[in-house]
Amino acid sequence: MPARPRRTLLAAAAALALAGCAGTSAAEQPPPGAGPVTGGTIVYGHQQEPACVFGGWIEQAYLSTQVLDALTSLDEDGRVVPWLARSWEQSPDGLSWTFHLREGVRFTDGTALTAAVVAHNIEHWVEGGNSTAKVWLDGYYDSATAVDDLTLRIHLGKPYPRLAENLAQGYSGIQSQQALQTRTAEENCEAPIGSGAFVVDHWDRGEEIVLRRNEDYTSPPANARHTGPAYVERIRWRFVPDGTTRVASLRAGETDAIYDVPAVDYADLGRDGYTELKHVTAGRPQQLSFNTQRGPFTDERVRKAFAAGLDRRALVETIGRGVIPYEGNGAVSRSTPGYSREAAEAHSFDLDTANRLLDEAGWTGRDEDGTRTRGGERLSVLLPYNSGTIINADGASILQGVQQQAKATGFDVRLVPVPPSGFFAGEYSRPDERDIAVGYWTSVTAGILWVNWRPGTEDWPNGNNAAFYDDPALGELIDRANQTADPAAQEALYRQAQELIADRALSIGLFDRLSTLAVSPSLQGVWQENAQGGPVFYDARFVR
Amino acid sequence: MPASSADAPAQVDARFSAAPLEDPGARLRRTARRVVSRLLGALLVLWGAATAAFLAQAVLPGDRATIIFNIRAGQPIERTPEELAAINAQYGFQDPVLTQYLHHLSGLVRGDLGESYQQFRPVTDVIGEQLAPTLVLTLTAIALAWAGMVVWVVLTAGRGRRTAGLGAAVDTATAGLPHYWLGIVLLLVFALQLRWFPVISGNSPAGLLLPALTLAVPLAGFMGQATRTEFERALQQPFVLSARTRGAGDLAIRLRHVLRHAALPAVTLSGWALGATISGAVVVETVYTRAGIGRVLVTAVNNQDLPIVTGVVLLVAALYVVANLLVDLVHGLVDPRTAKGGRPS
Amino acid sequence: MTTLLLEPAPEARAVRTRRPRPWGVWLAGLAALGFGVAAAAPGLLDTTDPLALHLDRALQAPGPGHWFGTDEAGRDLFSRVVHGARPSLAIGVGASLVSLSLAVVLGTLAALGGRVVAPVVDRVVEVLFSFPSLLLALLLVALLGPSAATAAVAVGVGTAPGYARMVRAQVLSARGSAYVEAAVALGHSPGRILRRHVLPNALRPLVAVMALSIGQSIVWASSLSFLGLGVAPPSSEWGALLEAGRPYVAHAWWLTVVPGLVVVVLALATTTLGKHLQAVLERSAS
Repeated sequence: MPARPRRTLLAAAAALALAGCAGTSAAEQPPPGAGPVTGGTIVYGHQQEPACVFGGWIEQAYLSTQVLDALTSLDEDGRVVPWLARSWEQSPDGLSWTFHLREGVRFTDGTALTAAVVAHNIEHWVEGGNSTAKVWLDGYYDSATAVDDLTLRIHLGKPYPRLAENLAQGYSGIQSQQALQTRTAEENCEAPIGSGAFVVDHWDRGEEIVLRRNEDYTSPPANARHTGPAYVERIRWRFVPDGTTRVASLRAGETDAIYDVPAVDYADLGRDGYTELKHVTAGRPQQLSFNTQRGPFTDERVRKAFAAGLDRRALVETIGRGVIPYEGNGAVSRSTPGYSREAAEAHSFDLDTANRLLDEAGWTGRDEDGTRTRGGERLSVLLPYNSGTIINADGASILQGVQQQAKATGFDVRLVPVPPSGFFAGEYSRPDERDIAVGYWTSVTAGILWVNWRPGTEDWPNGNNAAFYDDPALGELIDRANQTADPAAQEALYRQAQELIADRALSIGLFDRLSTLAVSPSLQGVWQENAQGGPVFYDARFVR
Repeated sequence: MPASSADAPAQVDARFSAAPLEDPGARLRRTARRVVSRLLGALLVLWGAATAAFLAQAVLPGDRATIIFNIRAGQPIERTPEELAAINAQYGFQDPVLTQYLHHLSGLVRGDLGESYQQFRPVTDVIGEQLAPTLVLTLTAIALAWAGMVVWVVLTAGRGRRTAGLGAAVDTATAGLPHYWLGIVLLLVFALQLRWFPVISGNSPAGLLLPALTLAVPLAGFMGQATRTEFERALQQPFVLSARTRGAGDLAIRLRHVLRHAALPAVTLSGWALGATISGAVVVETVYTRAGIGRVLVTAVNNQDLPIVTGVVLLVAALYVVANLLVDLVHGLVDPRTAKGGRPS
Repeated sequence: MTTLLLEPAPEARAVRTRRPRPWGVWLAGLAALGFGVAAAAPGLLDTTDPLALHLDRALQAPGPGHWFGTDEAGRDLFSRVVHGARPSLAIGVGASLVSLSLAVVLGTLAALGGRVVAPVVDRVVEVLFSFPSLLLALLLVALLGPSAATAAVAVGVGTAPGYARMVRAQVLSARGSAYVEAAVALGHSPGRILRRHVLPNALRPLVAVMALSIGQSIVWASSLSFLGLGVAPPSSEWGALLEAGRPYVAHAWWLTVVPGLVVVVLALATTTLGKHLQAVLERSAS
């Protein structure tokens, strides 16, 4: 018996002693005189493994981008540039778009890229092939037709001037029509056929996807840094869910690049000579939406009190270690064109205001826990969240901080981590099931507002309207913004919509969603695509 | 003593391993009957497990079509019947539960486990490719556990109060280590700090040792606890004395005679450990970034990917059946009572 | 103590092991007392709020003021560990009760159920045995949502078949014993024999098993928390604490090492006490 505790303590002590000198050595630099070389295999450590390469989830967009080319791409300033489409124009009424395709592009199954193929792809998304690509077209898209071999026409029911930007997302990668029509669902899931810089070699489920260079590649986007095939021969896209393990694998040289650098490691890796890339994804940030149809948050004063009772900035900056940016705007993130700073600053931390608003709203009593009451009812609110996929470890900590801070003004926030099965089953998705919803949605334009705030109707419900706020006026404002061609006028309208959302405290921001990469010094030329911050390895090469 | 027959394999063994002396024909019939009843029992277990998996999934909250759709889309929201119609039609979710169950069973009988809702692949493929790494891990762990346990018990058992006490204490301490904690500490020390092993274990041989040790150490402690008692009891037996008088060395006696008497509980435990593979492996797979059945199962339940869940359940039930058979077989070979036809005491 | 994770263990194997030396038992008793106090009246050991944020003191190493250090939001780990005793022990005790009650019912039926009931119960136990208990836990969590009660039921049902086998064997051996034969010879009714002779003798060893099982259940339940299937945050249940600290393992070792050590110490203490109890019972029985 005496040996037992002593033994474990010894083991622990050994661990502690070693942990003291935490592995923070400088990255190994390429030898002097080394230059870029062609060939080699990039080992890349990614976080989550999707079920298929192509699909409506950001993890799938990241992979699709490696294998499929899209019609357009975004440059560093968020401007839309040519990719498979070399140019495009809208009709004066904005109701029809003409895309002129690049000549001589072949899919890796040997078939040619034609306008008819692209039209087929778009129809495929809308018919369920990609629900996220579909949601962007919903309400605007009418049909797609091939005018000739290389001229595609998209007909809209309403003008949508930012269509070209939206087609730059990874959800809109173009696949071979022959592959879509003749191969099995399994084949198109695992190894979709595109015209991209890489092709799927094989997929060891649970471990890695191996991508092989497309030797005949001719169609890089206009913002790529070279032409012809990629420099490296292969990419081993490994799935490493644990952040600590990813960082350690990079330091140990087991990986050449990793995705999603934990906030706690970010500064150290940079100091030790690793290249770090950070992309604030545009679209909706991680935010809290209040239920405006049922429960205490139907009262605007209670929503505002909740917001004022939180010191969101301190919370995010502490737990995010200064890496994760605080975001006050609940509608769109700072990297979204047309972002409103005014909306972001609408609700500052002010306990007095919070308490006054709650008193005014009639929540004047207190029970023994310090929770406010009104007529015997407790100010208890339900905040379900999905742990693991939508909310990562840092996010879960921040939510616990929100719970604790809200306690000070008399809110009893009940956090419910929802297992993925229940979450995706649509649990907590109805107005009578929750008071606060948390989540993000990446996009390239403020057009995300339409996805998140379009008023639901009987025959066209909107499950993505997390606040259940069916306001025709807000919907009309966003719709008008979506249809406005002049960028400045459009952004002004988008800002107006954000300010309206902030004024009524329908949704408040927490933090911006980041896509981060850390890359070994011996690998150069990795960049992040500007739609969602995924890694681009086309221009990457080793320095040896 | 009575409690020793409590766990499954030992009890099964008690029923089947005692072989009375009979004429060959009777014995053959007996064996045949035994085999048939054994097979029937195995089928019953498999059927029960498949039914349990089906029922469990049937009572889970949430509409399966919605889940499939939402996961494919990456957005957890309410869906309209129109959106779900295609999926419902494809998988027959609108059929009565009994119809679905019969359909499910008839598929199983034909050896068709169905196709994954999310990966669009046959379940047999999904499981088949993950089975090997998991089995390799478990078998390595069992081998390591045996090696560690045998060395430790042979060295320390019945060697005076202090040594024996230390031996038993270490058994208890190691048997009490939670896998997740041991795994993290081993990873922290030997992979992250000392860099002796790869951080991402993957399926490389070098990456196998730490995960296998994580499973092996508590198992060794556990087997050690059981073996030590038998071992010390066997050391008191007359045959040890007689071997000594014949001039056999101490180590030789311990290895050749005593261990054989003492190893039965550990054999039983090994079989059980093989059956418990999946649940034990999931933590290790998570900590060490390994592919394997454990992670497949967790993902499948999260996605309510019923075909995969059922497939894994059947696999585990089959492993359990096989493990029981193996244990019986080894018992027959090792147990001096069945092997020599007499009970020592 | 078994840690073959998430599977019911043939606990009975531990039954015949040697009695630990008394002062080891004293140490274990002392540890158990400490855990008991922490669970019953955490305020006696720690007066701070385990959930209070101190954003200016995030990720501080153990030292004066914070004996076990602080987490990423500046919460005091010592305070959290102390306050985590109650949910952790509650799950352990709850799971043991669920498990043993189920085991007594199934085991007795399997032993005495006759030609019809016994084989059916046998099969049920076998199916339960072959059903991955991890899956059982996953399904229960999906069904009931993650909570202490769910964890207790999941662990309890998962470990029940092992104990059921044990109870069955005990009941069979008690039924075959001389005193039961004597009672039968005296013409006592079967119900009376079951109540007065068979069950008491068969179930006595379960007292010790209960002690062993509590420690085992806590390890088990903390494993569920580790996989994100246990008690909802911000509960300070030890497995949940450990899982929450895992992202910081390379920077703040105390967040994983300390809660893990606490679970190990508790497991050792209950194992030691359980074995001692067993030895005492065996002696008094012989």
